[in-house]
Amino acid sequence: MFKRHKKDIAGWIIMAPSIILFVFFLWEPLLASVVMSFYSAKGIRLERFVGFQNYIEVVQHPDFKAAFFNTFLYTFWSLVIGFLVPIILAIIINEIIHFKGFFRVSVYLPNVIPGLAVAIMWLYIYRAGKTGLLNILLGKLGFPPQAWLTKSHLVIPLIVLFMTWRSAGATTLIYLARLQGIDPELYEAATIDGAGIWARLKYITLPQIYNLARTLLILQIIFVFQVLYEPLVLTNGGPNNASTTLMLLVYKYAFEKFDYPKAASISVIIALILLLLTTVYNRLVKVNEE
Amino acid sequence: MNRLFSLKKDYGLLRTYDFRRNSVKFLYLLIYLVGFIVVFVAVFPIIWTILSGFKDLREFVNEPRILPKSYDINKFIETWKLLNFSKFYLNSFIVVIGSIVFAVVGNGLLGYALSKIKPKGYKLIYYLLLWSLMIPTTTSIVPLFINIVRLGLQGSFIPLWLSAGANAFFVILYKNFFDSIPQSIIEAARIDGGGEWSIFFKVVFPLSYPINTVITIFTINSAWSDFLLPYLLLNNTGKETVMVRLFQFRTSVATDVDIIRAVTFSIIPPILLFAFFQRYMMEGMTRGGIKG
Repeated sequence: MFKRHKKDIAGWIIMAPSIILFVFFLWEPLLASVVMSFYSAKGIRLERFVGFQNYIEVVQHPDFKAAFFNTFLYTFWSLVIGFLVPIILAIIINEIIHFKGFFRVSVYLPNVIPGLAVAIMWLYIYRAGKTGLLNILLGKLGFPPQAWLTKSHLVIPLIVLFMTWRSAGATTLIYLARLQGIDPELYEAATIDGAGIWARLKYITLPQIYNLARTLLILQIIFVFQVLYEPLVLTNGGPNNASTTLMLLVYKYAFEKFDYPKAASISVIIALILLLLTTVYNRLVKVNEE
Repeated sequence: MNRLFSLKKDYGLLRTYDFRRNSVKFLYLLIYLVGFIVVFVAVFPIIWTILSGFKDLREFVNEPRILPKSYDINKFIETWKLLNFSKFYLNSFIVVIGSIVFAVVGNGLLGYALSKIKPKGYKLIYYLLLWSLMIPTTTSIVPLFINIVRLGLQGSFIPLWLSAGANAFFVILYKNFFDSIPQSIIEAARIDGGGEWSIFFKVVFPLSYPINTVITIFTINSAWSDFLLPYLLLNNTGKETVMVRLFQFRTSVATDVDIIRAVTFSIIPPILLFAFFQRYMMEGMTRGGIKG
């Protein structure tokens, strides 16, 4: 009994330093964010409880509506452009016999480049005028140069495109590991039963990665919902708020206007939306399975 | 050509016997073609960026060419000196080193306690960690910033080091690794009278070489790439990291070619790291199964 007690104490002592770090960096800020959103403040000092005042003001501001819809647009485009790409890449690389390592390494390479550097690189790729890379390449095919990032209907897909460029490789590796874990005998048996290539893809490969794809889908939504410095660096939310996001609003309230409570209230809204999306999604998936 | 298709393939969708059909041979060639296009798309923007650094300003702004006219490394050296990059490299280096220490020791100790000591109530911590993986942390950047300001740690590297010690993803990687170390080794050390600290540092730590390597490489990469927190803490303090400096170009008078060379400076260390340790990085990526 005494020994057990001693072990518990030793365990908690060892965990204490890290737990303090987690409290300081993650858990307390999360709670503080919620508390702060209900207060007025001067700089970092909370002044008085104002109920939902911050939320009301934030939501009524015209920027909010744009940011809100845009954030969903980002998510939508990232599912259209980004979700299937890693799955297809993984299936392709898994089939390749020669140079498999080469393909894997190349696909993963963009992931090691710092996000900010990637954003600046793509700023030059999308650059208006004839010397942006995209315009150079299109110019060789005879197309006139475009001012890509000033087109409000194109700006979000363009940003999502380079987000996909940067992060698809990592996801591909995860799918690839799953594909390599599929029992070869499943394919063997299916083939003996006369299943063609497409049937094998449909009845073996895809069901085997279904659960993984579901988890990665949620993670991708969470990831894309926080999109911040891609629009910050490329367009600063422009043209005309066409690429602004909720996180960008948080950033602007907090570090340009120094209105921390308003920033916090948008943060809470983001967290709630994500919580809601994840729950609804899990429900839907469960219903489908039954 | 025929040799290519006489190979045995006993895994995946396509099998050896499928290759007897011409349509499958065609499909297989198509797969390779798509593969090479993908490689091109993945790698070309990086190569273009590096090559563009060899252009002079007029060439870069006016001429729609992919390759530069000449390759003079002195242009890079001039930009390096002009923008004082040695200083920012040094700052980033300091951030990286401190982060490694905290990432390995901090997350390692917690992972060890969760895996091998399991004190009463440890499950609560474990679930909180799993939750942390799902909850977007950037949304609480404001209160975190305020926490740091309250402690007077603004303008210092310390918060950046410490933040590496609070990485739920690393703790879970550590816990999973320690789960594979037999409990009997730990029990034996306990019977020999070792306290938990000394067991961790003398018994578990030396066995943890593979996971420590993975965590170290990941930490180097993320500490080097991190931007938002370093920017909020270090902007205009003389302690800017490479990434903070890169962001400052947005509002500076640096020319386009200087900026694109600076981008090259900022991506070379991670690319070298990847070149040497690609197997560890890709392994860690798959083992964790979560976006970094």
